[in-house]
Amino acid sequence: MSVNKIKVTVNNKVFEEEIDSRLLLVDFIRENLGLTGTHVGCDTTNCGACTVLLDGKPVKSCTVFALQANGKSITTIEGLSHGKEMHPIQKAFLDKNGLQCGYCTAGMIMIAHWLIRKNPEATRDEIREAISGNLCRCTGYDSIVDSIQEASQNMIPEEEEDITAGQRGR
Amino acid sequence: MSTIEEIVQGKGKFVDDIVLPGMQHMSVIRSNYSRGKILGISGGYTFKDFPAYMSSVGEGASEGEKNMREPVLADKYVNYIGEPVAAVLGKNRYEAEDLSEKVEIEIEPLTPMMDPEKSIDAPPVYPYMKSNIYKKVTLGRDFRTDGFEVEIEGHFNNRRVATNPIEPRGIVAAYEDNQLTVWISTQSVHSIKEGLSEVLSMPEDNIRVIQADTGGAFGLKGGLYSEYALAAFLAKKTGKPVKWIESRREHLMASRPGRGTSAFVKLYANRSGRILGMKGKVIVDSGAYSGGSGEFAARFVGMQMTGPYKIENAYVEAYPVFTNKVVQGPYRGAGRPEAHFFIERMIDMLADKLKMDPVDVRLINTVNSEFKSPLGMDVPPAKEFLEEAISKLNYRKLYKEKPGFAFFVLVPAFQPGETARIKIENNEVKVWLGGNTHGQRHDIFVKTLVNEGLGINRDLVHLQLGDTSMLKSGIGSWGSRSAMVGGMAVHEACKKIKQAFIAKNGIYSADALLKEGADEFVHWRGEGTMNSLGCNLVTCEVNDRGQVKVKECAAYYDVGRALSPEVVRGQVSGGMAQGIGQTLYEEIMYSDDGQLLTASIADAGVPIASQLPEYKVLLSNTRSNLATGAKGVGESPTIGVPIALSRAIENVTGVKITETPIRQELLLRSMKH
Repeated sequence: MSVNKIKVTVNNKVFEEEIDSRLLLVDFIRENLGLTGTHVGCDTTNCGACTVLLDGKPVKSCTVFALQANGKSITTIEGLSHGKEMHPIQKAFLDKNGLQCGYCTAGMIMIAHWLIRKNPEATRDEIREAISGNLCRCTGYDSIVDSIQEASQNMIPEEEEDITAGQRGR
Repeated sequence: MSTIEEIVQGKGKFVDDIVLPGMQHMSVIRSNYSRGKILGISGGYTFKDFPAYMSSVGEGASEGEKNMREPVLADKYVNYIGEPVAAVLGKNRYEAEDLSEKVEIEIEPLTPMMDPEKSIDAPPVYPYMKSNIYKKVTLGRDFRTDGFEVEIEGHFNNRRVATNPIEPRGIVAAYEDNQLTVWISTQSVHSIKEGLSEVLSMPEDNIRVIQADTGGAFGLKGGLYSEYALAAFLAKKTGKPVKWIESRREHLMASRPGRGTSAFVKLYANRSGRILGMKGKVIVDSGAYSGGSGEFAARFVGMQMTGPYKIENAYVEAYPVFTNKVVQGPYRGAGRPEAHFFIERMIDMLADKLKMDPVDVRLINTVNSEFKSPLGMDVPPAKEFLEEAISKLNYRKLYKEKPGFAFFVLVPAFQPGETARIKIENNEVKVWLGGNTHGQRHDIFVKTLVNEGLGINRDLVHLQLGDTSMLKSGIGSWGSRSAMVGGMAVHEACKKIKQAFIAKNGIYSADALLKEGADEFVHWRGEGTMNSLGCNLVTCEVNDRGQVKVKECAAYYDVGRALSPEVVRGQVSGGMAQGIGQTLYEEIMYSDDGQLLTASIADAGVPIASQLPEYKVLLSNTRSNLATGAKGVGESPTIGVPIALSRAIENVTGVKITETPIRQELLLRSMKH
């Protein structure tokens, strides 16, 4: 086991930790930081339940080493709501029945967050394409597409700028 | 139970989120061969440490003879790839996996039996058996086949499909003062408790099973598995809590898949399309041991093989057979999709033979009165519903687009009813159900029914997760039953509470009841059957690479009174995705020598968003005769969609479809000619 020191910003909070070099990012997030909203579904970069934003870009944290996040900024599902106020994407998933069992939801919301910032006017087909690296076994996806479409109409661009700024580690 | 608001913010509490002081992680060492003789094992906990056999509990599980039962850890022989052979404990998952690498297992490979249809006549896998048929089942009465004007035959197969909930299986077990406590992702805490009690030879009173938030199940999580018994055993043995979380690869090799059923079918008819007889031979790929759903599936598939049609003569022989694969289990539909695929494919073939519209053949063979089929299924009045469906689904208007059509009976697991407990305390209502919600949002119908029954504000009503210490008995959430039978249990409990309150206080007041409190347990028993009808229509395009794009995907189902229309819509949409998945992509595939070829969730074919269409969901809100008005729904789409989609593909390509999944190479090969 080789131990390394990393410094990462998670949800705008700085963490300095000593970790085993083989530790996966998802285990660092879940076990070391106790942020269990990010899930593991397939271990092989297929299902996307472990999707988080790394410097603003979506990564599947089950196949990224925690070391690779050194000096970078991570946003997880827990970093989206402002206190008791839910993020518009979270609200839209509630409103449009975008989840049933809820296990894939964190990953879906993170990928949606990335998509909406990149393409606020994404069509249904573009949304489907964007979430095709994230598996849902319950909904058949149409209500997830509904949710993301609704969220994109309700998100205020300026508000999102703050999160991006944090992710850049400014 | 975490609320949906908590889950959407990442604050759910799934089993892998549970951490106990001193908790160890279990890693399981498995067979790399589908069949072999164990020559030696060094290291780890083995059969010698825990010489126990599995019990069969949960949906459709049957015990079988004693010597057919699966050992918790393989003893002398391994009989499927992925079979647990040994286990190790580490302080975290990384250490446990390192330790598992140090366990050495020497296995002498033997030739595995991988093909269920060959298994029937092949030398038995188990020397003490006469054949690989573990129980022959016959239904209906055999009949003479001379004198029918038309006779057609078909051979069909629904290959094995993994359930693949996005949350894999998992358990945390702790043992203290003679008391075993487990937290688990499940459809039925009571089945798990019963199973653990049998395998560990522990009194049920010393076991408490608590459900964690459950991330999908689809039949997978209703029964007991070796790993659960092992984790509980090791928690007891070491005195420290044990956690086990399944990897996806383990899921694909060692958790119970569904389908895996084939059939030879003959239909006898007259030239005007009236069906006069049906004969079938059904083969269920039951896997390597009893304890799964093979025996049940054989009987259940057989029973439904005349579909909603009035066919006077019917006879089915069904064979659950052993193969060197993981034991078969229920997957959403569990026998219903298979039976209907067989009869519905035959109806379409008969229509082709007689040059009739397949929907007209369906109309000719349905009646407007209830009857019991010669194979034992109660069929509701079908003709009027079918006519309605043809019209609502626009079949005639869409005819140019070559739609496929499906008609089926949904046979829900109505008996033996379900339990519920309602406890009113501190101005709040807590509800426990015997069937545990695992993504279907049972909390919504519970709020509705308590509000209707007791006039209490929905916001004060909270469904609890399964917990055997809070509810004395329970069945489980499967077989399209929960809103129907769980709903009735809630309804009855409300009724009793209200009556008791009136008997004591004269007039009823919800506010006074909330202050006074109540605690009522009910086991509502379903008598008879509560079968209902459904139709699907699908159109598609197939490109020159043999890739299928589903265009119209529509349903018209009799769900009774939809207690929550948005939940019903979600159930239907999600089920349609699984129906499309089974038809086009999903399969658990082995090489002839028994190596697993589908070892990732992508290989196993779980569909992605860009492969799936938008759905059209139409409901016939005809109340059932239950006080709640509900009927079943959850499994309907997995029955109807594969049938309708298979036919749509047949219509578009001219390729005769006899099995699922429909492999792209089949369409590609046939289209080139």
